[in-house]
Amino acid sequence: MSKAGLAQFQQVFIEESLEGLDTMESSLLALDEGGDGELVHTIFRAAHSIKGGAATFGFPEMSSFTHEAESLLDEVRSGKRAIDGAIIELLLRTVDCLRGMFARAQAGEPLNDAVAEGLRNELAAAMRRGVPATALQARRDADQADAWSIRFRPHAGMLASGNEPLRLIRELAALGKLQVTPEFDRLPAFAALEPTECHVGWTIELSGPVKRADITGVFDWVEDECDLTIEAKHVVAEVAAPAPTPVAAPAVADAGAARAQREASTESSSVRVSIDKIDGLINLVGELVITQSMLDTFREGDIDAERLAMLEHGLGQLARHTRELQESVMGIRMLPIASVFNRFPRMVRDISQKLGKQVKLELVGEQTELDKTVLEKIGDPMVHLVRNAIDHGLETPDKRRASGKGDTGTLTLQASHRGGNVVVEVSDDGAGLNRDAIVAKAIQRGIISSGEGMSDDAVAELIFQPGFSTAAVTTDLSGRGVGMDVVRRNVSDLGGTVTIRSTQGKGSVFTITLPLTLAIIDGLTAAVGAERYIVPLVSIVESVQLKAEAVRSVVGGGELFRFRGEYLPVIRLHDAFGCDKAIHAIEEGLMVVVEGDGSRVGLFVDGLIGQQQAVVKSLEANYRRVQGVSGATILADGSVALIVDIAGLVRMQGRRKAA
Amino acid sequence: MAKILAVDDSASMRGMVAFTLRNAGHDVSEAENGQLALDAAKGSSFDLVLADVNMPVMDGLSMVRELRTLPAYKGVPILMLTTESHTDKKMEGKAAGATGWLVKPFDPEQLLATVKRVLG
Amino acid sequence: MGKTTGEAKAAARVIALPADFRLGSVAQVKAELIEAFDAAAAQLDGAGVERVDTAALQLLVAFRREATARGQSPAWLGVSEVMRDAAGVLGLAQALELPAPMPA
Repeated sequence: MSKAGLAQFQQVFIEESLEGLDTMESSLLALDEGGDGELVHTIFRAAHSIKGGAATFGFPEMSSFTHEAESLLDEVRSGKRAIDGAIIELLLRTVDCLRGMFARAQAGEPLNDAVAEGLRNELAAAMRRGVPATALQARRDADQADAWSIRFRPHAGMLASGNEPLRLIRELAALGKLQVTPEFDRLPAFAALEPTECHVGWTIELSGPVKRADITGVFDWVEDECDLTIEAKHVVAEVAAPAPTPVAAPAVADAGAARAQREASTESSSVRVSIDKIDGLINLVGELVITQSMLDTFREGDIDAERLAMLEHGLGQLARHTRELQESVMGIRMLPIASVFNRFPRMVRDISQKLGKQVKLELVGEQTELDKTVLEKIGDPMVHLVRNAIDHGLETPDKRRASGKGDTGTLTLQASHRGGNVVVEVSDDGAGLNRDAIVAKAIQRGIISSGEGMSDDAVAELIFQPGFSTAAVTTDLSGRGVGMDVVRRNVSDLGGTVTIRSTQGKGSVFTITLPLTLAIIDGLTAAVGAERYIVPLVSIVESVQLKAEAVRSVVGGGELFRFRGEYLPVIRLHDAFGCDKAIHAIEEGLMVVVEGDGSRVGLFVDGLIGQQQAVVKSLEANYRRVQGVSGATILADGSVALIVDIAGLVRMQGRRKAA
Repeated sequence: MAKILAVDDSASMRGMVAFTLRNAGHDVSEAENGQLALDAAKGSSFDLVLADVNMPVMDGLSMVRELRTLPAYKGVPILMLTTESHTDKKMEGKAAGATGWLVKPFDPEQLLATVKRVLG
Repeated sequence: MGKTTGEAKAAARVIALPADFRLGSVAQVKAELIEAFDAAAAQLDGAGVERVDTAALQLLVAFRREATARGQSPAWLGVSEVMRDAAGVLGLAQALELPAPMPA
């Protein structure tokens, strides 16, 4: 058997185990809130599968670790032990620890760490009894002889369990030479014989240097289904056990191979797809094939009016099927956001306990689907928003009572589809943003010189500025040097935006707007000289034609124009990307107002050609990373257009200004 | 070559078992739980059934009990795939009518050796 | 029913053992074997047996013992290699009075 053959199941194992851990976690939390006993079985099953699989797929450390937890769960399951908060806490930490182990497994790192060791000891200590070492014991007790007499008398019901004396005796024959004598003393008269029962016994003389354990091994499944005596006829002197063979060197080599294998298998992650989706795809491909063969008939013969109509019909079908196929293929990458939402009940519980706050978490729209890649990356920004909401937004029960609210604050995570976007909201009914504190902090940090005349929205925007933090004391929860600016950057890397609405005393709502998929974007095609660029539609605010005098040069380089009472910097795309033969005169071109990284700029282009869906091709994969460009696409005429990375462009502009 | 039914709710374990046995030339069918296994068994005649103990919908022990009521599965070997080293679990399996067990972890070689042993 | 030696051959009952002669079919075969006691003589045909188990061979042993007690001596019309091998492993070849294998 090739090791590569098994590697594919190793990856599947890791994925299903991570799902199992999610199940364990949510079940433990439900149990903590007084859930029923069925949950214990669910938790046990998950732990059990991980244990069995871990050992089979080459993670013995994980297996032995899970074994401790499983033993504990087994006692709970069988009613030998009552479950309490301490055990749930311990098991929740076990879940975390296993997640860490799986992460290390995928990275090819050693699985055990100090945390795992400590936890293993805690789990073992929690068990009332030690673990019986039966298998080892039996082996040590093995004695050896070179002739044996075995009396084997099956009980009547043995055959019904599928245990065949024929097979057992054949196995003995593989150990040495046999002399088999049947015993019919219990065989009833023919009429009385129940033919499916076993009433024959055997005395078997076995000669050959055989260990007792080898013989008992043959009968291990039928211990309770037969009378068995095994007597050594000719005992040989006890042979000193051979010194343990040095296994260190091959073990290291194996570990290296396993690591290489694991690395190879993690390079391309996989996605599980329901059979329904695949069947849908197959249907569509079938339709395409039919359409194609229909169109094929137009290769020959003249095209008259009637055939032209057919041709048009066929092309229409082709277009429809292609679109449907595209949607279906995209659908394969779409997964419900539940997998991200589900990590929050645990987190909210832990943080609120730590801070002495009472928080009720509400999850809405968990079945909302979004692209797997987006899904994987949206977790971190959301974690930060949730931490912030509990740490800064929601108040302690005392403070809530003082402001006439209930003791328990509500934190809501809500996902929904809006147009071609997924909108995720993190909202709380806490204190809301403190305008005065934010303004004071922003002045102190030199972000603004005065808060006068600033709208509430503009003040709220300040928290997204780099280096901004309003917490009086940096707690170990939010204050990890990661600010809201990083949240915004992470989201904008996914082609999305973050905004905040806040009412003092009532709470805050953070809204993350994300594209459904990263593989296709809606964009406007802009002309710049002979080049074509795609500007993502999601970042476009408006496009305006300006008079030359509307744009002013500023000291130290750069240009500004006034847009809705705000001065926006101008980025001339032909400058940024070095395009020849582009329009330079402001009044002849077009100013596209775009928003990226929380700020607005004007992109100056020759003109806009039209709107289109662009299939994103990675520049990094095909060439290298280029600043200000998020990817490339192929236009209908076969030429390549670059997709403008608005946030990147804004950052480039900022650096140029600073320089 | 034998007709073998592999029953496990874990896709990786089931996949590994099926893959290993198919590589050895056996005709392997798969089922995700006891109920599906029972349905499969009624529609076919397997020479051997390998089943996990802990499964949703119908666990391995109930499945064995049900299988043993079918005339066609009276003497057919049924092995439980189990991690429990406790004898009571094994005995429960035996009481339900299982032929024997294969203790996880097992590697492909152990699996093949055990299957060969059972099929005789 | 006449029991002269002249009629014995005609009245001999041939019991063809099934190809799959195992736990699932032993009850059926037992019923057939019981009827054979009524016949003047029984002949067992095991040439077509492809799969056999302990229960099947045990049934045949009990049948032979019963027949012997009744003064009958069932003859073998054929014995498949599978049967011969299984009987050998279980040490039952003698009790079943299997004929010596035909030279190939």
